Amino acid sequence: MKTQRSPSGIIAFTRTLQEKLILDMKVFFFTMQEFFWFSIRAFVAIPKAKQYWRDVLDQAKICGADSLPIVLVSAVSIGALLAIEVGNLLEDFGAKTMLGRSTALSVIRELGPLLMGLMLSARFGSRNGAELGAMQISEQIDALRAFGTDPIAKLVTPRLLAALIMFLPLTAFSDFAGLQSAAYMAEHYHRLDPGIFWNAVYPRLVAKDFVVGFLKAPVFAIIITLVSSFNGFSARGGTSGVGRSTIKGIVVSSGLVLIANFYVSKIVLENM
Amino acid sequence: MIELRQVGLKYGEREILKNVSLCIKDNTIKAILGPSGVGKSTILKLMLGLIKPNKGQVIVDGTDITNMNETSLYAIRRKMGMVFQGNALFDSMTISQNLGFFLRENMRLPEEEISRRVAEQIQFAGLEGYEEQLPENLSGGMRRRVAIGRAMIFKPHMILFDEPTAGLDPVSSKKILSLISSLRKNNNLGAVIVTHIIDDVFNVADSVAVLYQGEIIFDDVTEKLHEANHPFIRSILSDNILEL
Ligand SMILES: Nc1ncnc2c1ncn2[C@@H]1O[C@H](COP(=O)(O)OP(=O)(O)OP(=O)(O)O)[C@@H](O)[C@H]1O
Ligand SMILES: [Mg+2]
Repeated sequence: MKTQRSPSGIIAFTRTLQEKLILDMKVFFFTMQEFFWFSIRAFVAIPKAKQYWRDVLDQAKICGADSLPIVLVSAVSIGALLAIEVGNLLEDFGAKTMLGRSTALSVIRELGPLLMGLMLSARFGSRNGAELGAMQISEQIDALRAFGTDPIAKLVTPRLLAALIMFLPLTAFSDFAGLQSAAYMAEHYHRLDPGIFWNAVYPRLVAKDFVVGFLKAPVFAIIITLVSSFNGFSARGGTSGVGRSTIKGIVVSSGLVLIANFYVSKIVLENM
Repeated sequence: MIELRQVGLKYGEREILKNVSLCIKDNTIKAILGPSGVGKSTILKLMLGLIKPNKGQVIVDGTDITNMNETSLYAIRRKMGMVFQGNALFDSMTISQNLGFFLRENMRLPEEEISRRVAEQIQFAGLEGYEEQLPENLSGGMRRRVAIGRAMIFKPHMILFDEPTAGLDPVSSKKILSLISSLRKNNNLGAVIVTHIIDDVFNVADSVAVLYQGEIIFDDVTEKLHEANHPFIRSILSDNILEL
């Protein structure tokens, strides 16, 4: 092994590094550009969705009804956890009567939607990625095009619509379940009177709290569906390629959900 | 008629096709023979406009489709049927749904007419009794026949076959090849058959083009293949199957 690098070796090394970086950047921007057009085409095809109402219904069942259990489980556990932790904290300040308000805000505005987004990107996103990826590598997507059907209108737009429609009621169920479990914990763990708990919830919630929470649903729906579908469509190279593209879809959409969660809160809270 | 004129294609930095010119006349069966990974499937996808060449032109029935947009291509593609390498059947649909799918999608036909055409293809492919089965429950040869039936559904005048006999047992292969020959005899159909199996070529093709390292090294009537003296062609003639 050479331990010393000659100056020319270092120059050559930085040059290849530079070339690799430039290539990576090129690929990145090219992919972003493709993703942009992919998304535009998914939205432009919305008027054609009438033709695919059956697919919209199927997808609505998959991302709505079938995802409900996991969304409820995560809402219940986050509600219960918040009630316990925040209750302990508030007790130190003798402000336990505020428990309802603080858990309600966290559940409705932040943690409820966020956890739901992450769960759905794992459940709905991974399903999309794997299913569309398998269709891509088995040439089913090429077959659609070869016989004159727009694969984005047939496969992506119905998923997008289904998610846009179903994520809202899912958010409502998730909020409800989270609050119920928080109330249960407040009563049974912290021995707080339910009347006091709920009194600190309802009268104090304002429109803004719901706007923040419910605006996240369509934002997440768009992110999760488009990112996972795009990655499915980009799958190459056999079964392992489907695995890779599915994972990439989940990682990217989860990351974007986290970022969007922050910005939606920030923008709405600053402007309302 | 399908024509490729001096087509070149790269995937990233890799040059797959260098300078490919080909012409497929109506009512003839043309084979494109080449080793695995040489770009045979790519050529068929170019003919359908599913991918675009980096240089050269693709012309279908006198129309230059090289830079055509996707929507205008749909009409062109319906003149051709495609049988994909892995069949590309929709695995969540039954056989008759697979056959009827594109009719329902793209043609405003009454439901009876659709059922009639589906039944016609079922009979042609010899799949009576399997209408309500899912593709996964069929043998490889049957699935291939479903894919051929689907390719015929718009009554095209040219069918593109990607490795029609690959992965099939000898009996199923024979059946598929005789199906292909009968298409031309009974329906006046032309066909492009991409293959790496030289028996397919001698069994059905009128003419054959050999694709090797991105270039067409032979393009003539099938009988003349024996006279070719390119070392690659000599080696496949002696070995029958291309494993290069
Ligand atoms: N989308 C793509 N991106 C990058 N490379 C590709 C892509 N599609 C195909 N290739 C590469 O191009 C070459 C030609 O592919 P093609 O599928 O046309 O070959 P083929 O002759 O049909 O081979 P096979 O016998 O395996 O079917 C292969 O080496 C393949 O790896
Ligand atoms: Mg191939």
